[in-house]
Amino acid sequence: MAKKKLSDSLVKELAEEVKEWGSMKQTGVSLKHMMNFGGSSKNLLISGQFVHKELPIRIARRVIELENLPYGLSTKNAVLQVRDWYLESFRDLRSYPEIKDKNDDLKFTQMVKMIKVRHNNVVPMMALGVQQLKKERPQFDYKDLKEVHQFLDRFYLSRIGIRMLIGQHVALHDPNPLPNCVGYIHTKMSPLEVVRDASEDARSICLREYGSTPEVNIYGDPDLTFPYVPSHLHMMVFELVKNSARAVQERFMDSDDEAPPIRIIVAGGLEDVTIKISDEGGGIPRSGLPKIFTYLYSTAENPLDEDFTTTGAATACTMAGYGYGIPISRLYARYFGGDLQILSMEGYGTDAFLHLLRLGDSQEPLP
Amino acid sequence: MAAKKLYESFSRELIEEVHRWGSMKQTGVSLKYMMEFGSKPTPRNLLISSQFLHKELPMRIARRVIDLQTLPYGLSLKPAVLKVRDWYLDSFRDLRSFPDIKDENDELEFTKMINLVKVRHNNVVPMMALGVQQLKKDLHPKIDYKDLDEIHQFLDRFYMSRIGIRMLIGQHVALHDPNPPPDCVGYIHTKMSPLEVARDASEDARSICLREYGSAPKVNIYGDPNFTFPYVPTHLHLMVFELVKNSLRAVEERFVDSDKVAPPVRIIVADGLEDVTIKISDEGGGIPRSGLPKIFTYLYSTARNPLDEHSDLDTIDLATVSTLAGYEYGLPISRLYARYFGGDLQIISMEGYGTDAYLHLSRLGDSQEPLP
Repeated sequence: MAKKKLSDSLVKELAEEVKEWGSMKQTGVSLKHMMNFGGSSKNLLISGQFVHKELPIRIARRVIELENLPYGLSTKNAVLQVRDWYLESFRDLRSYPEIKDKNDDLKFTQMVKMIKVRHNNVVPMMALGVQQLKKERPQFDYKDLKEVHQFLDRFYLSRIGIRMLIGQHVALHDPNPLPNCVGYIHTKMSPLEVVRDASEDARSICLREYGSTPEVNIYGDPDLTFPYVPSHLHMMVFELVKNSARAVQERFMDSDDEAPPIRIIVAGGLEDVTIKISDEGGGIPRSGLPKIFTYLYSTAENPLDEDFTTTGAATACTMAGYGYGIPISRLYARYFGGDLQILSMEGYGTDAFLHLLRLGDSQEPLP
Repeated sequence: MAAKKLYESFSRELIEEVHRWGSMKQTGVSLKYMMEFGSKPTPRNLLISSQFLHKELPMRIARRVIDLQTLPYGLSLKPAVLKVRDWYLDSFRDLRSFPDIKDENDELEFTKMINLVKVRHNNVVPMMALGVQQLKKDLHPKIDYKDLDEIHQFLDRFYMSRIGIRMLIGQHVALHDPNPPPDCVGYIHTKMSPLEVARDASEDARSICLREYGSAPKVNIYGDPNFTFPYVPTHLHLMVFELVKNSLRAVEERFVDSDKVAPPVRIIVADGLEDVTIKISDEGGGIPRSGLPKIFTYLYSTARNPLDEHSDLDTIDLATVSTLAGYEYGLPISRLYARYFGGDLQIISMEGYGTDAYLHLSRLGDSQEPLP
């Protein structure tokens, strides 16, 4: 059973360590740096040692934040579960001895891999905690809970960083990496290609839900490539096209008119690669636009019901789409120095602008 | 020569009055209210309107005088800024010295007087711009537009207030027109077709482009031709003209040495429940994300100010005035016009491709004037 307060448990020492590591300075890494830091054995050792020191700092910060949330959010069962996951991971890292050779690093890599798996369902679990809070205080509007929003933005952004560091370190051990790939990073990623794949995936979801799906027309230079993390881009484009397809379907469902296609433009500049996803799905009123970036306003059902021990792989797949997609996509965009902006024309349709830094020299944001 | 300090040429009583009126609470009006009130321009209503303005205008003007006196970085002392301050002071004095408005004759006299006030202030924007340029020359060249945030905020407030003052005066004067065009209440067209205004403004912008470059890209406009809503056509014309002008320039510059045909500028006019939104899209190559904040500043301007250092500030002839129209304050001031009636202007760009401008106009007209 989850412990209610850290000090109530027997691990006062741990509490002090958490406090100590939570106030140490974090070190950010840029995509460029990660990319240039390949997988030689010397580098793997250095990387392992860096991750060994850096992760506990980031994780400890999150434990402290989780303990100090407003409106009693910290005491919700789901939030306590997340805090315990972070605590266990902190303990695993701190109790791991110094990494001196290749063997140490291999074992360490196994260990951080398991940490990543332990945290797989943090997002829906936190969402459940927020729902638990909302149930208690039905009068609260998303506007009232600004502090909670800001916390969640920092929390999830930090999570993206932690998982990137772990995932990258683990992937560097792959004896047969794909050509042009350095861990998660594809040094010659074609945004047009990723956009195509993600759009097709989104169309499949739409087809399944509605029985039909709008076309997606994609314009851009097929030879444009730049270094990025394809899974991140795929996730963001999938989310945006999914939303567009849904809006268009809902609008033209009972109409004789043919559903207009979704248009995607991929543009390459000096600073940025920009991807615009435009739909004619009827748009969102200006007053309703801030809501789409919030975590507290969600119309979809949370697959993790009250019983939060059911965390099977199947449930994990539907996690992406229950209303957190847009704010989290924006965090992914911002993680490597980009951004996501959504503009709408009420009565017509919506445009989403995904800006990705082309140079990759932006340091990780460290909330 | 314009006096440097207020007390050097204006009486102490006036200074005190300015401070007193400058701290009184302003009263905002919505477009809807202006429209309903102005739909019955009876002598009685005109009397009420003038009495309201007689009280309201000095408050707004006094605030601006105080603002102009307390600008950072020594901006208040620049000759051009002192000139503007003197215009505001003269107008304040004219209003305060006008007696109580009791009957139709008083009201007509008052209306003439405030019309002259409006004319006096016709060149405030380029004059303030000159003041800002005078400041830039003095400042350390390394200071960037980002450092002068206070001045930006002041100018936003100042120009927003000016829009309001001119709207109030202009509306009141226009209500005296014995033969107003159909469906119009002063400056407000109760059945304005945004598509029509967008067409006109685009054509005007294309003429400018044609004159400058010898050619102009096409402008394709999509929208419901039957859709109308109440708005001020001159405001919308100004904003669309500015945006299309920028788009056309960008496209021309990009395709000037190219064999390819310049892609058209595309305008979509959409109507929703809350808003009317006009999107102006071009393929002019776009603006880098790092450069986007600059386009809304007043201090970053690549165009030459026709009122340069060497001209005598007291003699501004008609020729100079007419060249001031196309001068690079267009975007930030367009945004103020949009926000004045509860709307907004957002510009997003795709570097290497083009730029989209989104003009949101509140459809209901019940948004109160912003009162900085």
